[in-house]
Amino acid sequence: MKIIPKTALIFILMLFSTMAASAEPLTYALKVDGLACPFCTFGIEKQLGKIDGVDKLTTDLDSGVVLMTMKDGILLDKTKAEKAVEQAGFTLRGLEQVKTPASNVIEK
Amino acid sequence: MRIRHSFLLLFSVAMVFLSQNIVAWGAPITFNTALPVAKDEFLIREQFILGQSGKDHTAAERDVSVQSVVSVLAYGINSDLALFAALPYVNKTLKLTMNGTRLTRSTSGIGDMTFFGRYTIYKNNFKGGNFRIAPFAGIKMPTGNSRNRDEFGQLPAGLQPGSGSWDPLGGIVMTYQTLSLQIDTQISYKANMAANGFEAGDVSRLDSSLQYRLWPKSLSGGVPGFLYGVLEMNLIHQGKSKINAVKDLNSGGTRLFLVPGIQYVTRRWIAEVSVQLPIIQNLNGTGLENDYIARTGFRFNF
Repeated sequence: MKIIPKTALIFILMLFSTMAASAEPLTYALKVDGLACPFCTFGIEKQLGKIDGVDKLTTDLDSGVVLMTMKDGILLDKTKAEKAVEQAGFTLRGLEQVKTPASNVIEK
Repeated sequence: MRIRHSFLLLFSVAMVFLSQNIVAWGAPITFNTALPVAKDEFLIREQFILGQSGKDHTAAERDVSVQSVVSVLAYGINSDLALFAALPYVNKTLKLTMNGTRLTRSTSGIGDMTFFGRYTIYKNNFKGGNFRIAPFAGIKMPTGNSRNRDEFGQLPAGLQPGSGSWDPLGGIVMTYQTLSLQIDTQISYKANMAANGFEAGDVSRLDSSLQYRLWPKSLSGGVPGFLYGVLEMNLIHQGKSKINAVKDLNSGGTRLFLVPGIQYVTRRWIAEVSVQLPIIQNLNGTGLENDYIARTGFRFNF
């Protein structure tokens, strides 16, 4: 029985580890200024939902944050997010990647 | 001549119903808002309106009731510019006494379509709220029939489903909105033109609305439905009408309505009900006062 060299084994494990990490869906928190009623959230979710690669959207009115989960391995373009929020009539104050997956999600 | 005079008396009250701001959209119930319509977003609104005027102290004992269903479609060209179209279907009934006989005249049909655009010239978005100012301008088109007849002949202008005239309108609306409350104020003017020998008086309006979130008391995540208590005010002044270029001294005047209401708002739809109660009615001549105007309706976005 042939034994796999130790260095090759480590390389293979690292490769799988990297692939698994890159395939994990990314979730972003969009801090939106101007959002203040339930009826307005439809417009912003509709605009954000048009961005390629968006899987799920969750809005929290109280904090003014929209959690945006992307499909596997897809990154969110901040410029596109800014434009989508602006087209809904609001202002993107900040955007950051978060680890916690979105809960209470809306399927897009 | 007496029958003609009685029908002239009708004009003043009927025109008030016609002059109601039926193109209301957005958060207030009886007028518009400056809140945005997102790019490529549509909104549909249906409003059912019942107006009643029956406390006539003249010998004619006039009683006017108007039922209307107003359909409004809004579309966002972009987040600043939105277009609105409103089309009413109306049913109007006049009862009056002439020579000891009680008469009833009524009509129904599609009314005049109003089309206007609204552009946001100022907006300040902040965390949990916003403030906007948006002027608007448009025109009321004579899509309704203005020459309906009954057994007594052609119906008076105030009783027709449409006015027959092209009437420009414009104004400005301001909205301040937070998670707890919303305040809207609108100033508007509609210049009524002449058609079929009749010209209704121009209408100036000052409207204000306060919507206060009653439920949920506190927010705890997500997008819950909001139950708002609504209190609105409509100050409406209408100039005297003209019949064959002669001013009708029994038309026009100033009215102040107080409008309590309730509204339930979700992500996709709004349901609401209100009643306009006249507080002050300073009318010219024998103009017939309003008893109430009740409204209920819903809106959807898609």
